[in-house]
Amino acid sequence: MERLLRTYVALVYAFMYLPVAVVALFSFNSSEMLAFPMTGFTLGWYDVAIHDSRLLGGFLNALTIAAPTAAIATTLGAMAALALTRRRFRGWTLFAALLIVPFFIPKIILAVADVIAMAALGVPHGVPAIIAAQSLIILPFSAMVIASVLIRLDRRLEEAAADLGASGWQVFTRVQLPLMRNGLIASFFIAFVLSTSEYLVTSFVSGRTQPLAIMIASDFRFRLSPKLDALATLIVSANVLLVAASELVRRRAKGAVG
Amino acid sequence: MDGGRTFLAATVGPVLVALIVLCLAPLGVLLVVSFFRVDFVSIVPDPSLHNYAQVLSSGSYRYLIAKALMSGATIAAITAVIAYPVAFFIAKRIREVKAALLTALLIPLYTGDLVRIFAWRLILGREGVLNSFLIWTGAIDRPIETLLFSPTATTIVLVYNYLPFMVLGLWLSFETLDDHLFEAAADLGAGRTTILLRLVLPLTAPGLVAGALMVFALVVGDFITPQLIGGASGVTVISAIADLFGAAFDWPLGSAIAWTLLVAMVGVVAAVVVILGRTPWGSAAFGRG
Repeated sequence: MERLLRTYVALVYAFMYLPVAVVALFSFNSSEMLAFPMTGFTLGWYDVAIHDSRLLGGFLNALTIAAPTAAIATTLGAMAALALTRRRFRGWTLFAALLIVPFFIPKIILAVADVIAMAALGVPHGVPAIIAAQSLIILPFSAMVIASVLIRLDRRLEEAAADLGASGWQVFTRVQLPLMRNGLIASFFIAFVLSTSEYLVTSFVSGRTQPLAIMIASDFRFRLSPKLDALATLIVSANVLLVAASELVRRRAKGAVG
Repeated sequence: MDGGRTFLAATVGPVLVALIVLCLAPLGVLLVVSFFRVDFVSIVPDPSLHNYAQVLSSGSYRYLIAKALMSGATIAAITAVIAYPVAFFIAKRIREVKAALLTALLIPLYTGDLVRIFAWRLILGREGVLNSFLIWTGAIDRPIETLLFSPTATTIVLVYNYLPFMVLGLWLSFETLDDHLFEAAADLGAGRTTILLRLVLPLTAPGLVAGALMVFALVVGDFITPQLIGGASGVTVISAIADLFGAAFDWPLGSAIAWTLLVAMVGVVAAVVVILGRTPWGSAAFGRG
């Protein structure tokens, strides 16, 4: 029974990693054809992917968008997480429900709502619009990550500081902020990753700006090649590194308890 | 406490403003436009229920909305069955590497929609990995044509995309489940089936509902997967909305479909909550009874 369970769980994990493995495998295959049998080992596709100036431009665009988006989502997420974990106020449930609305609404509906509202108000498409739209989508994730750290913090530290005469602002800057720092870092990394991989809403409000995700989408439809495998493998590796780093940082925050 | 008010103004305030400006207001504008109509290439602010009448009387839109809701429910059910043992295993059989296992489950999520779909096309395509592999090993003579661009392919990839959310929801419930309950039930003579049906299922119902809600909403909203994996079967209500905002310029009708879909989604969720809430099994899920 136990062995059956173990095997089953291993199979589910294999299923989850199968696509990632296949993409990585073909990125090293020397043939232009994406099919078995494999023909030989090469790093050539990585060379091609890295030296593609169009993709490099898209990559830089993605970074220009991801940095402010991650900062905004993390700041708002921290505010929401602080309110939800530190106070039981009137309208708490409503606030929590509103916070997950952007997660539950189909992204295309958010996208077309943005397009209509922007047209009505004359807001131009482009980088600021992408940042605003992505910040909203990522906000529920940031709030969750930071709340998961705040829940574990020892509230007595904050109470002790208040008892010793610290003002609300002092409690925040001297006690809460240092203790939740790791949660903020984790949220920033995860928001960064989510921003660079977001495609749907971005494509509706991007105007003429082309971040990497949109370029990959069009290459994927019209110019399929192992170069995309190499690119995807690079993206996945970078994401795994960022997420793993943020997870390490977040778990270290647990040490603050007790 | 006076500081309480300042604290709330400083924390809840900006978040509420962001939610209202970036989410609720655009949805409000979408609702208003859904009552307008299109004349040639301009939107005429002449409020009527015309678009909603068109959505509700059109067999194809009704079908597409029903298909989206059904697909959400089906994928939620499939992921629940697959995820249940996984969540149990992570919560109850793992101590040291629990966080690592959960993170490992989430990492494929961070690869982005397109990379994942791209990978599945490599696997399921006519000259794809699965077919080439099967031919190479001699298991089949000619490629299986129907792997990609079929409803089955869409189902596989949707399950793949949203399984981690279901595992997360269920895992939270299993994590709070007290092991002593099992021992007590077993001591009192309950068999494996009784423990599963009368103890484990009701107590993990909150996680099941949370996971199912997430998967349902995400599947209904997913249109890249059916479009790029499902082929001819990939027309969804979501792609219909996208078309009306793209080539077929009719924002008001598109808005009306979007709002009908939102109301239908809320309706399904509310119905599930009400029906489940009446059974003893489900009342555990909503903290009543």
